[in-house]
Amino acid sequence: MKGKFYDIQGFSVHDGPGIRLTLFLKGCPLRCLWCHSPESQAFPTQLNRMEVKCTGTETCGRCLPACPTGAVKPGRKKKALAGEGEITLVRVDRTLCNDCGKCAEVCPSKALYLCGTDLSVDEAMEKVRRDKPFYDSSGGGVTVSGGECLCQPDFLLALLTACKAEGIHTAVDTTGYADWSVIERILPYTDLFLYDLKHMDSAKHARGTGVPNERILENARKIAAAGGKMQIRIPVIPMYNDSTEDFDAAGRFISDLGAAVEMTQLLPYHSLGAIKWERLDREGPRVEAAPPTDQLIQARKSQLEALGLCVTIH
Amino acid sequence: MYELKPITGRVEEMRRKYRDTRPEMCTARYRLLTDFYQAHPELEGILRRAKAFRYICENIPVRIDPGEVIVGAQSAKYRACALYPENSAIWLKQEIGDGTIQTRDIDPYIISDEDKDYVLGTIDFWMGECMSAKSDAQIADEYFQYDDNGVLLFNARNQAQSPVGHFIAGYETAMHKGFAAIKAEAEEQKARIIEEGMPGDSVDRYNFYRAVAIVSEGMITLTKRYAALAAEQAASEQDPARKRELEAMADTLNHCMEKPARGYVDAVQTLFMYHTCMCLDANMHAISFGRIDQYLVGYYEEDIRAGRITEAYAQEILDLFYLKVAELNKPWGYFHTQSNPGYVSSMLMTLGGVKKDGTDATNPVTYMMLQTMGRLVLHDPPQALRIHKDTPEALWEAAIETTKISGGVPTFENDDVIIPALMGRGLSIEDARNYCLIGCVEPSGTGNEWCCPGGNGTESYLNLVNALWLGINDGHYPLHKRLAVKEGEPIPFPQRQGSATGYLYEMKTFDDVLEAVKKQFEFFVRWQAININSFDYIAREMLPQPTVSATIEGCMESGKDVMSGGAKYNSTGMSGVGIGNVADSLSMIKHLCFDTGKCTTRELYDALVANWAGYEDLLSYIRNEAPHYGNGLRECDIFAEWAAKVFGDACNACTGPRGRYSAGLYPVTTNLMFGRGTAATPDGRRKGEPLADGISPVQQMDTNGPTAILVSVSSIDQVQYPNGTLLNMKFHPNALNGEGGIRKLTDLIRAYFGLGGMEIQINVVSAETLRAAQKNPEDYKNLVVRIAGFSAYFVELQAEGQEDLIRRTELAM
Repeated sequence: MKGKFYDIQGFSVHDGPGIRLTLFLKGCPLRCLWCHSPESQAFPTQLNRMEVKCTGTETCGRCLPACPTGAVKPGRKKKALAGEGEITLVRVDRTLCNDCGKCAEVCPSKALYLCGTDLSVDEAMEKVRRDKPFYDSSGGGVTVSGGECLCQPDFLLALLTACKAEGIHTAVDTTGYADWSVIERILPYTDLFLYDLKHMDSAKHARGTGVPNERILENARKIAAAGGKMQIRIPVIPMYNDSTEDFDAAGRFISDLGAAVEMTQLLPYHSLGAIKWERLDREGPRVEAAPPTDQLIQARKSQLEALGLCVTIH
Repeated sequence: MYELKPITGRVEEMRRKYRDTRPEMCTARYRLLTDFYQAHPELEGILRRAKAFRYICENIPVRIDPGEVIVGAQSAKYRACALYPENSAIWLKQEIGDGTIQTRDIDPYIISDEDKDYVLGTIDFWMGECMSAKSDAQIADEYFQYDDNGVLLFNARNQAQSPVGHFIAGYETAMHKGFAAIKAEAEEQKARIIEEGMPGDSVDRYNFYRAVAIVSEGMITLTKRYAALAAEQAASEQDPARKRELEAMADTLNHCMEKPARGYVDAVQTLFMYHTCMCLDANMHAISFGRIDQYLVGYYEEDIRAGRITEAYAQEILDLFYLKVAELNKPWGYFHTQSNPGYVSSMLMTLGGVKKDGTDATNPVTYMMLQTMGRLVLHDPPQALRIHKDTPEALWEAAIETTKISGGVPTFENDDVIIPALMGRGLSIEDARNYCLIGCVEPSGTGNEWCCPGGNGTESYLNLVNALWLGINDGHYPLHKRLAVKEGEPIPFPQRQGSATGYLYEMKTFDDVLEAVKKQFEFFVRWQAININSFDYIAREMLPQPTVSATIEGCMESGKDVMSGGAKYNSTGMSGVGIGNVADSLSMIKHLCFDTGKCTTRELYDALVANWAGYEDLLSYIRNEAPHYGNGLRECDIFAEWAAKVFGDACNACTGPRGRYSAGLYPVTTNLMFGRGTAATPDGRRKGEPLADGISPVQQMDTNGPTAILVSVSSIDQVQYPNGTLLNMKFHPNALNGEGGIRKLTDLIRAYFGLGGMEIQINVVSAETLRAAQKNPEDYKNLVVRIAGFSAYFVELQAEGQEDLIRRTELAM
């Protein structure tokens, strides 16, 4: 059994307590308009194109003949980094591309690369073990994130079980959009849930993420009832979920979860994920707003704190 | 929350002056020394040095600049350097002669036409008389056939541009005893020797004590000249507050240095005046301060208790002291400047750590030093914070906040590794616990060791990557200057610069490769020791150090100068550069040629000679797909361990006139200049690119983040490198935001130290750095920035993203 990963990050200091290793599993059932990791959405391995690394078809161009479907083509021109001239960058015709990765194999600068790596539990654990001294010094551990890691339930369970067998703290970063049976299985091996709360209104939730929220809210309640520990994470998206009313509703819901919630984190929207959309030749993120102001974030923080919640800004 | 208190107006003013002043060359010392040497051809050895020094003390211009409280100067003008023709006249003549001293791209100095004419008119006297000329004559005959080998940094010739240095004098002895008592001790010893009829070779000891008495006189005289100047300025001062201050300064200067310090201000003034004297004595590099918080705390607490001083005034005095230290800079020839750019003198200060009894040594002055660093934001003098398992949380917090503000200051040093490393070098447990750091990262006993971390007179760096190259090239340096090699043409060179070890393509097994590299390492370590020892021999005669020896434990007892082995502990350092490239290259040769068969040894050899031209696919595979050192991969890391051990063992086994050698792994910035002289390497480096820094992985080859780097570098058994190791890490401030962030960085360093790490410096990336990265993306390819939600290579972000991040960085700081 293998898991499909799109990234693994050491010295992860924002995804749970202490110094952590965050394992990002690929594939997600949600399609959040503000998503800053679009490469995490699709389950299969995908071709990415990092334009700044491309050295141009004039001196390279190896990807062009390597492509069996003719999807890789000469694209726009750009001023060369060195010297006076222009270089022709390559583009990918996504209607023809089947993500076979033949172009990435020959690309010397790795402007074209495949995103998505298959690892067994043992292979993943080898990486996990490497950082054990850092978990120990800091009270850290492993965070499994996504995409939506609950979408690879058997692998996730095996990975968490292996971590717990070695005494490593585990956190699961999730949208909560999964069948309760999946969560129930991993619950005994999960020390902490980093649990997203995007909107309390189901219709608006569906508009922003592509799915309704009933199951998500229900799962949160069940985790709390089952004695699970949670940190609630709210991405603060301007004109979507940042109003006083939105936060009143969210705050009430979190308060009702009681002692299960250790902390609530606000994640202010930012547009820096845009480059990752470009790498997939996709339009996004589809949020037409400036990042929220510091004053607004502080106001929302105070609002939740007034309800007795412990709040941090990510 | 950690807080920086505001600096006073005059500190602000002095800092502005420091930043705005372009350094000049001052010829005052040069003129005095030339006069003295020319007038006294009859003198030699330690007496010539002592009397010349006293003559300088009696005649060098003294100045007290507006607002100064702590005084002392090596030059007539602010921030000017003194000149030391007795070390090397050769570069002075050349660079002043052709004017490049004023125009060079690194550390130019202004010099007036009059001074220039004077120097050029007198320099010929020094050409044969200087230390460089004398030491050139000592070079072993056999060395010349190995010259220009790419491994030993400085050619054996003309290597005394910045001799000796790298030591910590007995500042506490100077404060506690004063030089009148030291002089009296010397006189007593002299009398005893006379009494005994100067038996055997005790004339050496007699002359040593004679010299100590003379330099003590000189230092007292200089201090009293400052006292007189302070009194003179007080007399004409209109501002009553400043007048009182000048009167107090006159009192301090009339007392300190001569007699034991009476309080905090006396002690700080002694520290700086003694330091200035050592700067005036010789052009020594990295005259370091040692454990300032330990020296000062007794005086400080007593003064506070007695109400003689306020906390704020004590802090201001410390600020003013740091600014005086920053003012000192020393000139180098252009070649040496490349390895120590930025007008640095490496006058390192140590704080924190444990006491001699092993308990925590943190005290109020420790925090005051951090305050000063944080609020002055000076890159010089450098600071080293000793860490141990009981270092208080508050000190961690203050230190990490300081390092955030001031870019890598202080460095963090691990007592749990350094103390045993120094005991391995012969220090007692109490002396090892009382260690401090010299120059950059070199551990030393405090006031009792002559450990010459940079070699006793030369800069003892070895380019280990070229040693590897010679190992796979039958002892030939591929970029030898006598060979006009066309790129892409492997040429059988007429003469070897190293040991005959065969060519890579002749090696049948990977063990053959290791054996060849080992031979070459040992060959060059041996030659480094030979060159240093030859230098040491003549330096004892030419440049004895009675000003330093007067306070170093062991010298007064034995009647021997530090240069002759008088200190309680003795050793000589060497430092290997590029261990990351060596580890990575070895692991790559194994991976490519012996494990996977990606290419043959012949193909790899040809690719290196061709600087990868025609081998782009292989290069791309190496850079993008093959495993590398620095990613926590055992199969690569074992070669760092192996190469470091081979180098360390060879080095630690050498001996010199004063005792054993001591291995280190740090480059300062030699990794850049060494890189320029190193051909393409199997790790995927192109010809001329920089070598890896310290024990760090090869640039851009670490893709698994900081924890993986720390795991990899910990594979080196750092206790075996008592001369220091260096690890530099960069973080974006977002990674350290808030209290939690500081806590996590603390935990990261703790975990590294638990793994056996010796030293680490943390660079929190500034907005300025990010701007530079925008301009020169090639130089910042591996700069990682944390963006909420993910990390990215800065140069891979789109322009608007970069702008946004710079804005956020400015806010976060």
